[in-house]
Amino acid sequence: MQNKEGLWEFRSARSISWLQKTGLMTMICVGIFSISNLFDWWFRAENIASLPFFLLLTAIFWWGIIRMVFLWISYLKIRKPTPIKAEEGLKVAIFTTSSPGEPLSMFEKTLEACSNIHYPHTTYLLDDTRDPRFKEVAKKYGAVWLELLDYPGAKAGKINEALKRTDEDFILVLDPDHIPFPNFLDEVLGYFRDAKVGFVQVAQAYYNQYRSFVAKGAAEQTYGFYGPTQMGMNGYNCSVAIGANCTFRREALESIGGHGIGLAEDLITSIRIHAKGWKSVYTPIIVSRGLVPEDFGSFCKQQLKWARGVHEMLFSELPKLWKKLSFFQILSYFSIGSYYATGVMTFLFILIPYLFLWLNWLPAHMNFAEFVLNWLPVALSGVSIYLYVQLWLCHPQQESGLHWRGMFLKFACWPVFLMGFVLSIFNKNIPYIPTAKQSVAGFSLFARPLIIHQIVFISTLIGVVIQRVYWTDEASLALTSMDIWGMVTFAFISYLMTFGGIYAAIKSRKLKIEEPWKGIECNAIVVDNSPLKIIQIRK
Amino acid sequence: MKIILYRLFLVVFSLGIGALLFVAMIYAGDKSKGPLEDLFVKINSAISGFEKEMITAEDSRASSLKWFSRYRNNVSLLNAPDTVFFGAYDDQTINSFKNIVTLEDSLGFQLPIIQIYSAWGSKVDQNFPLLRAEAIYDLGSVPMITWEPWLDDFDPEEYPFAAKDGNINEGGLKAISQGLFDEYIDNWALDVKEFRHPLFLRFAHEMNDPYRYPWGPQNNSPEEFKAAWNYLADRFDSIGVSNVIWVWSPHPAYPYTDYFPERNVDWIGITALNYGTVAPWSQWWTFDETFSKCYNELSGYNIPFMITEFASLGVGGDRPKWYYDALKSVPEKYPLVHAMLFFHAAKDNTTTYKSLDWTLWNDQPTIEKINEALDTWK
Repeated sequence: MQNKEGLWEFRSARSISWLQKTGLMTMICVGIFSISNLFDWWFRAENIASLPFFLLLTAIFWWGIIRMVFLWISYLKIRKPTPIKAEEGLKVAIFTTSSPGEPLSMFEKTLEACSNIHYPHTTYLLDDTRDPRFKEVAKKYGAVWLELLDYPGAKAGKINEALKRTDEDFILVLDPDHIPFPNFLDEVLGYFRDAKVGFVQVAQAYYNQYRSFVAKGAAEQTYGFYGPTQMGMNGYNCSVAIGANCTFRREALESIGGHGIGLAEDLITSIRIHAKGWKSVYTPIIVSRGLVPEDFGSFCKQQLKWARGVHEMLFSELPKLWKKLSFFQILSYFSIGSYYATGVMTFLFILIPYLFLWLNWLPAHMNFAEFVLNWLPVALSGVSIYLYVQLWLCHPQQESGLHWRGMFLKFACWPVFLMGFVLSIFNKNIPYIPTAKQSVAGFSLFARPLIIHQIVFISTLIGVVIQRVYWTDEASLALTSMDIWGMVTFAFISYLMTFGGIYAAIKSRKLKIEEPWKGIECNAIVVDNSPLKIIQIRK
Repeated sequence: MKIILYRLFLVVFSLGIGALLFVAMIYAGDKSKGPLEDLFVKINSAISGFEKEMITAEDSRASSLKWFSRYRNNVSLLNAPDTVFFGAYDDQTINSFKNIVTLEDSLGFQLPIIQIYSAWGSKVDQNFPLLRAEAIYDLGSVPMITWEPWLDDFDPEEYPFAAKDGNINEGGLKAISQGLFDEYIDNWALDVKEFRHPLFLRFAHEMNDPYRYPWGPQNNSPEEFKAAWNYLADRFDSIGVSNVIWVWSPHPAYPYTDYFPERNVDWIGITALNYGTVAPWSQWWTFDETFSKCYNELSGYNIPFMITEFASLGVGGDRPKWYYDALKSVPEKYPLVHAMLFFHAAKDNTTTYKSLDWTLWNDQPTIEKINEALDTWK
């Protein structure tokens, strides 16, 4: 029953045949040609109406395209590591942390699942709840309870203290909302046979995406990253640790003085380990499932936290370490670090038609038909490549699609991204906000900017109509109609995009509060389909 | 080694197929550019038409030009005028014909004909200016379009002959009557037909001036001009265009009699611009000196005359007097003149190195003299 959608079953992305790769390369060629064609047309003097404003438009437009090209470059090296059987007798720890306010029942599930993990290991619960029941639960499932009170740096601080008190050579850092599969350690430990491997990251997958529009959209945003994107980055030895589900070599963590601290502690740890010359492995397998935010407010909070944290990595770690990183590692950390700059870009993109409608500022004189015809091949290659690489999603049956919910949600978050960006520029902190484990119902404050955007559009539209009817002389009416209504259409498109976020926020109000982990049977997780298992069984 | 060769082959293969797919897309794009542009023009025209319908001011210019509406919807009435139509060209009309209205207000009389220029070529704004023509009609006026065959403005990729060796303008008019530009002409004619309302069309004006435009005698013989003229008119006819009024417009200072096409001429258009002494090559010419000789020679055709570009600068003579004398002489001396179009460019740099200002609105003495002259007509 619980496995209706095949969620509780070991999954791994397909391997890559040369034929498939040729198909991918062909599409990327088409894409690159199309982009050069667009480039050749875009940067023509006759297109420029006002130079500074044109440069701004160019920055916004080409920002997206350059990011897409980075992604394509990573796809060229898309690679799935061959499964390697783990050495026997390794000393392995699992760290999971609990903080005040987190639901006990969730830990029951997580710790039960940890106790089911086949490879011999010790589970540690790093606890600062001051709640005796947590100790009991740890005891019940054979985990070691470590009370670690008042260490700065929240999760990372506790991990560092626990590192001092333990001696295992390999540490799996498991987010407490994740339910690991029994074969988790078997799948990853083998890669540590290579003494240079510092950490092994697996996919982050979820089990509550069916619960809401936000959960679905939030999950959709991650599918590509944990499939083809990280697989490609793995090919360049620049796949990154994303905290949850990452297994570290103790030596690697100690070489950088312990787990990094900060809002993006995982990325900071990851970049430092790379800078020390350790190799990383990304394996596109699903050996645990966790939670995504279900309501709009929690999602935005999570994004704000990441936006602020990721910039921390971009501004303070990357410049320090870039000499020690490979070219592709720099590229990869740079593009992850600048992901949230999308907020600024989206804001400017929204602003452009209003600047024309309010102030008559026009960035470009472009023949619209020419723009469409030059842009269309780029858009078509972009979409085709996006869909094609879905061959390498970890769980294609469940994850493939156009991911429109994810797109709407991303658009709705531009104020959050922008805020994260601005906070980073001024080096201002946001308080540590744990990602909500259970959804919080109610109309989110984060929907306000979207409502303001809607009001701005509607009032501008009314203003334009009034101006056209009463204040435009008839000799100008026909000759200005294209510019005015073209720009209104431009503004209308981003106005339409706000509905996704507003719908998500409205839906979030009616969300039933429940514990999604309630009905999950840890003993019913299917792992016999793992290639490593199959080899074992054959023997 | 084998594996390397195989992989190399796959890389080359994907590059090749990629290039092919890309070229196919670009080809499809080139093919659909024209239709797509047309579509956008139609959408634009529909939107502005809808807007026009929604926003109907009671004191519109069209309603104040009511007396003219029987002419502007009727080609035969326009071709047999019983009055003199005024009109104007203004060079600042990209976003608005407001300047024409302002000029009317300064002059104190109406300008029912609005002249615009339209060049041949393959860019989207070199198609028939449907939106502008509609805007002019909606203002209660008739458009007069000066249609300039700048043949070197065609994209060689779309019009392969345009890339031919040497000068496309050499024998360019012959190329027109040989049918090389049919696609362009037909599209233009179809748009004119769709416009439905009468319009004046002045094709290849000053075709007898060897120093000015590429369609002049330096590149074409008079026979080639006449052939091209009649070719165009016949082609418009065969497409079923019946709303065009053909204005044949030679330069009065050069021989023109050989250039008269005999057929398909509805009006004779003469340019009367007095540059005064702004340039070394120019001197103060009165309207009479410019116009009377050709009027006398061409009035035998008994076709209405239009002064297609009517203006004087003020350097080197008495500007108010120039306009006064010109206008006063029209009814008695030049009874076949039935239209006069003020050339009202604020920044004209087409003939001299410095920009010339032909505007009237700040020249109160001239405006007074113009009105004084018109008073003598009654």
